[in-house]
Amino acid sequence: MAAPMELRCWEGDWGLPSVHPESLTVMAYAKFSGAPLTVNTISRSWKAPKGDIPVLISEDKVISQPAKILNFLRKQKYNADYELSAKQGADTLAYIALLEEKLLPALLHTFWIEAENYCSVTKPWFASRIAFPLSLYLPGKMSREALNRILLTKGGPPLYSLTEVEAQIYRDAKECLNLLSKRLGTSQFFFGDTPTTLDAFVFGFLAPVYKVCFPRVQLQEHLKQLPNLCRFCDDILTCYFRLSVSGHSPAGQDTADANLQKLTQLVDKESNLIEKIRLSLFLCRWMTTFVRALSTPLVS
Amino acid sequence: MSLVAEAFVTQLAAAEPWPENAALYQQLKDEQILLSDNASSLAVQAFLQMCNLPIRVVCRANAEYMSPSGKVPFIHVGNQVVSELGPIVQFVKAKGHSLSDGLDEVQKAEMKAYMELVNNMLLTAELYLQWCDDVTVEEITHPRYGSPYPWPLNRILSYQKQWEVKRKMKAIGWAGKTLEQVLEDVDQCCQALSQRLGTQPYFFNKQPTELDALVFGHLFTILTTQLITDELSEKVKNYSNLTAFCRRIEQQYFEVHDKDSSAIAARSAKRSLLR
Repeated sequence: MAAPMELRCWEGDWGLPSVHPESLTVMAYAKFSGAPLTVNTISRSWKAPKGDIPVLISEDKVISQPAKILNFLRKQKYNADYELSAKQGADTLAYIALLEEKLLPALLHTFWIEAENYCSVTKPWFASRIAFPLSLYLPGKMSREALNRILLTKGGPPLYSLTEVEAQIYRDAKECLNLLSKRLGTSQFFFGDTPTTLDAFVFGFLAPVYKVCFPRVQLQEHLKQLPNLCRFCDDILTCYFRLSVSGHSPAGQDTADANLQKLTQLVDKESNLIEKIRLSLFLCRWMTTFVRALSTPLVS
Repeated sequence: MSLVAEAFVTQLAAAEPWPENAALYQQLKDEQILLSDNASSLAVQAFLQMCNLPIRVVCRANAEYMSPSGKVPFIHVGNQVVSELGPIVQFVKAKGHSLSDGLDEVQKAEMKAYMELVNNMLLTAELYLQWCDDVTVEEITHPRYGSPYPWPLNRILSYQKQWEVKRKMKAIGWAGKTLEQVLEDVDQCCQALSQRLGTQPYFFNKQPTELDALVFGHLFTILTTQLITDELSEKVKNYSNLTAFCRRIEQQYFEVHDKDSSAIAARSAKRSLLR
């Protein structure tokens, strides 16, 4: 029996098991290959998320990037690419490179750099899932890293301003979505009837664009014009991520889940507030005792 | 460039036929040019040869600074300057020459995906090897990169470029990789290309496309460039159909005109595959 494996990743919202593209890729691959992973989402604990999320912990091994995690799972005999031919394996690598070069910059931009999206959705969401002092710093750091990456890879001349770079990356992303749609055609998955690594990567990148509700949604609108890709995401969500929830009908479970999530968020916010109040009260008490201690020699 | 500006440039491009005096600019081939730039330059030359468009290669020490995007090679056609393979392919297509017209939509998607794979893995590995591997940097890159300039400008320019490349490697997550991991990535990429090529003469069967030009540019340069060790070229030599592919393209497109400058540029100071 394989050793128990634990995956630490960002949690889900808006009907997704995770909001983070790379975490979603790993979770989808685990479902496709039948790997038994215990998923631990990062909630407001002091075990601060360091750098690369998702992280797979198995016995004493800690593995951090999606490609390496998938390699590790394959070595543990959880292989979703078993029936692929050599050429299809090569195609997988090529399409993953296409996703990383053309779609990822626009995805990062939508989440972390577009001002309205970042301030109203991304930053509060991530801040509410990180423990108090770090929540003031970490989302900003992630945003700066995303901007850095985009400017260094796409931002050279002749594109001299951020708006020109943005226009170019969204154009590339829309072209990439069109290419994926043409490649998928009418089949259920990219290589026939069973999902493989490529399906996990495409799902991981597309589902956040498709489901997360942002104020500025040009990429989502373009995606919604490609019905086969939307159907692809929905199919994987219903077949591989809802079946684990037993019993209830999907619609009822949806609203129950949504309500529960909202409640937990409220409770989280309240407990966050209570923590801050407690911390400030403690500081006040400490200050008063300190002042009293200082002032006693004067009163003799 | 905005969409309107691009459409305007395309109209201008379409108006004139390909002139006789089109020139391709790159760095000095014997003393200055590096592995990655040579690969990109050779890819463009191969592409233009496959389209049957005459081009002469001009070597200038400051080619990188003349280029509109800061990258070599760039072509000077009529009164327009276009750099890098992607935009050059678009430009040539606007003039009415295209290698990928016969492909259907799915094949075009595959071609673009494989081109991204080569850029993502092979080109990045070449950049890593020549700018982040200390031994190669000291013995090959620094002396070559700044060779046309006097001291201390040569050292300053090459340190500046090294700093830029290292920043980029850090942003895309390659800074933490060791040389063995990079070579493994190269091997994976070559394996994918070899499996895709199979026993066919070109990637999309009978006719060469820009993907063939790009792969030829990179693989030929890797096979014929002398580095500190032979590990990189050994990775490519493991796949016999890839070496046969390079030989075939060299024979067909670069050996035909012996006095043609592009053939000389292809061989430059390095060994030919035939010897």
